[in-house]
Amino acid sequence: MQDKQFGDYIITVDNINKTFSNGVVALSDFTTHIRRSEVVVVIGPSGSGKSTFLRCLNGLEDIDSGAIVVDGIPLDDNRKNRLEIRKEVGMVFQQFNLFPHMTVRDNINLAQQLVRKKTRADATEMTMDLLKKVNITEKADAFPAQLSGGQQQRVAIARALAMMPKVMLFDEATSALDPEMIGEVLEVMKTLAREGMTMVVVTHEMGFAREVSDWVIFMEAGKIVEGGTAEHFFSNPQEERTRVFLNQILT
Amino acid sequence: MNSLSQKKRKTIRFFHIHSTFIDILKYLAVIFAMVWLISSGTQKLGYNWQWYRVPKYIYTFKDGRLGAGPLIHGLMVTFQVSGISLLLSFAIGLIAALFRLSDSLAARLLARCYLETIRNTPLMVQLFFIYFVLGPVLDIDRFLSAVLALSIFEGAYASEIFRAGIISIQKGQWEAAYSLGLSPVDTYRRIILPQAIRRILPPLTSQGISLIKDSALVSIIAVYDLTMQGQVIISETFLTFELWFTIAAIYLAITVTLSVLVNFLEDHLRVLG
Ligand SMILES: Nc1ncnc2c1ncn2[C@@H]1O[C@H](COP(=O)(O)OP(=O)(O)OP(=O)(O)O)[C@@H](O)[C@H]1O
Ligand SMILES: [Mg+2]
Repeated sequence: MQDKQFGDYIITVDNINKTFSNGVVALSDFTTHIRRSEVVVVIGPSGSGKSTFLRCLNGLEDIDSGAIVVDGIPLDDNRKNRLEIRKEVGMVFQQFNLFPHMTVRDNINLAQQLVRKKTRADATEMTMDLLKKVNITEKADAFPAQLSGGQQQRVAIARALAMMPKVMLFDEATSALDPEMIGEVLEVMKTLAREGMTMVVVTHEMGFAREVSDWVIFMEAGKIVEGGTAEHFFSNPQEERTRVFLNQILT
Repeated sequence: MNSLSQKKRKTIRFFHIHSTFIDILKYLAVIFAMVWLISSGTQKLGYNWQWYRVPKYIYTFKDGRLGAGPLIHGLMVTFQVSGISLLLSFAIGLIAALFRLSDSLAARLLARCYLETIRNTPLMVQLFFIYFVLGPVLDIDRFLSAVLALSIFEGAYASEIFRAGIISIQKGQWEAAYSLGLSPVDTYRRIILPQAIRRILPPLTSQGISLIKDSALVSIIAVYDLTMQGQVIISETFLTFELWFTIAAIYLAITVTLSVLVNFLEDHLRVLG
């Protein structure tokens, strides 16, 4: 990955804090900067704040203090800014969250028509292209419940891509899948990475991290313990806690 | 997996029809027992049944043309009052539910006040209040008073149903919609409500049936609905038993038809869901 060209910083996260109303501190003085086309993998034990970090990036959670700027737009109380950022940031969830009352095509058309104000015909054209990309054209008229988990997740990725986002967030996108379906979803994610999409990926798939990540962040208790290239992480992690964690998940 | 669930669904439908059939048999048995009880009771009372006098209050036959009798006229008023109130009460219920779920404290408070007031006072009092107090002030007639009272009353119950339906939708649906850049209005309109309404169709139907039954109460402010027409005829003819039986049968026919219709609708929606 050495020869990959990065752009400017597309996401800057500075000293953000997030405490939930029940007193749980999910993020504490968290800072990280992500460049255009960079693939950042976030790892860490359960409850360390990985999901909260992702959800703060597109305003699904409000931060208590600190600053997040995405592609020049500050994520603050301003509703317009929040909406602008959500248009530019796609998200893929562990549980897929497809809309069960719509066909695959309408799932992918919806935001194009409502948010990007495209006609149905224009939207459908892009939808069919995306379905080709995630390898599932034959299911355009199916309802989500008629698809396998792997197929649903690929549709969810297509749905997010339909907004032509500049950044994609993946929150354990393969964790709810049967083992034989993990590969097909990772394959789509790898293709995106190769095409230069900026990605922030929470995952336990170390093979994926090793193969496509440009930077790995290890989190614990709402803080970054250690950050570095995948090579650094897998050959000689500096922190004792990182070593313990990697030993646990690699065995 | 798909064919299995289809098979299951067929089995379920079979049992469904089967049990419906048994229910109808039981129901007929109960009716039969009641008729027997009442007829033997009225014999002791010396009640003089005059069923032959009833039809002319349902339909008239003048100059070779079929016309509606007073009961049918009343039924039309019942339909009008219930129909308009049904639509209005669902609108009010939905708005109240959205207010209760909104971020705004003022909206939540307003909705709470409405719900508590309406649910803790009798419908009859609300009807009198609107007709005798608001009526003269706002210059609204009996019919409109009846419609308003019923809509506001049933709306309070409908709002609980809507609220339950909305909060039954998984958080992930909101998050997926928001992450795509949808506005809260679009999210409600295209994602949340279409799913919620499918789930709450059965309780909403019961609500609609309650409304039709409760609409009989509007006769107390002299709206000439089915019940009121019946009362008038009885006071003129003393056909007490015959007419109340007839009126009950008409209400029953409407409500049963409505539930069958919605059951049918529900089955078709489920296939899509
Ligand atoms: N809505 C919420 N309300 C209260 N506490 C929450 C909420 N969401 C998350 N938390 C808490 O915040 C902490 C961080 O949660 P988060 O989901 O970000 O962890 P995670 O690293 O994604 O964990 P996992 O690997 O299990 O997904 C946890 O202790 C969690 O219990
Ligand atoms: Mg998580």
